[in-house]
Amino acid sequence: MGVEADRHGRIAVTLAPFYGGKLEIVPKIPVRSLEDFSVWYTPGVAAVCRAIRENRELSLYYTGRWNTIAVITNGTRVLGLGDIGPEAAMPVMEGKALIFKYLGGVDAFPLCIDADSPEKFVEVVRALEPGLGGINLEDISSPACFRILDELRDSLEIPVWHDDQLGTASVTLAALTNALKMVGKKLGEVRIVLFGAGAANIATARLLEKAGADIGRLIMVDTKGILHSERHDMDELMLRNPWKYELGLKTNRERLSGGLKEALEGADVLVAASTPGPGVVKPEWVREMAGDSIVFLLANPVPEMWPWEAKEAGARIVATGRSDFPNQVNNSLVFPSVFRGALDARAKRITDSMVLAASKALADYVPSDRLSENYIIPTMDDWEVYVYVAAAVAEQANRDGVARNPLTYDEAYVRAKKTIERSRRILQALMNENLIRPLPKVE
Amino acid sequence: MGKPIFRPAQPSDLDRLVDLNIRLKRLNEEFDPLLKIRDDIQDISRKYLSDAMSSPNSLVVVAEDDGRVVGFIKADVRERIFYKPKMEGNIVEFYLLPEYRRKGLGASFLEYTIELLKERAEIITAEFPSLNEIATKFYTRLRFRSIISVYARET
Repeated sequence: MGVEADRHGRIAVTLAPFYGGKLEIVPKIPVRSLEDFSVWYTPGVAAVCRAIRENRELSLYYTGRWNTIAVITNGTRVLGLGDIGPEAAMPVMEGKALIFKYLGGVDAFPLCIDADSPEKFVEVVRALEPGLGGINLEDISSPACFRILDELRDSLEIPVWHDDQLGTASVTLAALTNALKMVGKKLGEVRIVLFGAGAANIATARLLEKAGADIGRLIMVDTKGILHSERHDMDELMLRNPWKYELGLKTNRERLSGGLKEALEGADVLVAASTPGPGVVKPEWVREMAGDSIVFLLANPVPEMWPWEAKEAGARIVATGRSDFPNQVNNSLVFPSVFRGALDARAKRITDSMVLAASKALADYVPSDRLSENYIIPTMDDWEVYVYVAAAVAEQANRDGVARNPLTYDEAYVRAKKTIERSRRILQALMNENLIRPLPKVE
Repeated sequence: MGKPIFRPAQPSDLDRLVDLNIRLKRLNEEFDPLLKIRDDIQDISRKYLSDAMSSPNSLVVVAEDDGRVVGFIKADVRERIFYKPKMEGNIVEFYLLPEYRRKGLGASFLEYTIELLKERAEIITAEFPSLNEIATKFYTRLRFRSIISVYARET
């Protein structure tokens, strides 16, 4: 892995100045002569402005706003790099925006803002709402990210998503749904251990509860051990991390204490989203889990333990965050299509049931007869999965009454398919025309 | 979680009370660096609570759920030498474990304590860190108001 990461890094840092960024704005209307600007721009454009002034929602139909989102960060927790500042976060935001466009046909602006405090962050994003169709929050430190997401979700009339929370949680749930199907266990009956209590697992716990897991039997473990309502830092959490505090009250009804070792005894499922391994989760702990155990090791770049170690220790199904192992729990499977569906429906928000619908569509994409221990979740190559997930999200937006433009499943499916296909064709055409320069050879 | 009962503390509650008192002081520490707890908090808490339980001028009461002490209040009865009404019941420690909060239990626990203090005190006061907004809201809701401020600076 180290060698491979080094090689990718070397290529990336050489290509970054060669291309000078990953995205640019390309017109989508014909310009035959300068005269056309009298329509696209002043004086003709004033008529469009007047129409929107009369009915502000028309901005979601008469301008590109409907398909434009911002990928916003303050750079306080970028990848595994930590608080590297907004400028240094830009390459990641550009990459994310690229995936949005390529896999979801979504126009995403990478925005890196100088706003360390949650109050300032919320204020800046709220001010941006009139020009955007959606907000994707990215790489913001925990617990600030919970407050920022909750406040923006409550106050904005456009979809708001924090991928490190909702993205990871929904893909994890999809993978878990299929894994449980494989081993013949039910979500409401299994004992789940979440190791790591950062943005990902806190969001996963919240989503698992909504999906029907028994939250009182769910065990969260962090650097201080098993979380329970009487752990010594609970008062501190009440003030500093109310989201984790809330889970301290709800989970672990039996007030089990100790560490991951104790938590795993007899557990059916482990979802680790903690610190890079190997050696963070010990095989002897996995050995103490219940039969047909399910082990997700989501730390990047190196999972908490190697997947083969987990298998040798008796885990029946293992997933990681890596593309070079089977069962990659990968956010990219969800965020482009969640926005595709939400934007097509002109949704006012992304409800929890839309997140659950996305997760279910992702899980259902793997047909029962192809389901196996090494295939519980689609890969990014299965590009049609994006269309299915988008349609499910748009349909659910309609059911939840948050769609300004209510679409049936079939309508949403067709739209999403067209938009995503078009996006890929544009890129291919630009490459064919050499308007996108071919990759130079990098040593 | 059942419905806790309230009762005066007994010597056998001491270990648990020490633990709850340390939790309370740790919580206070979160509000202000000038409330940083001392290294000997364990021993001091034990002596403090044991003294209070045997003092005629203090009251220690506990909330108990299913045989477990889940919260406590410690109050002192003292004379206000310049003001009237003269006898004051001063609530100095009040702690409930997290899962017993936000259920109206704190208010009934406080009322229980006030009932006991009423025999000897005509005015009830409560002390807590200025920055503890939760306590401010709690007491305000129960018709308390701020009458004295304690300001601090380091020498």
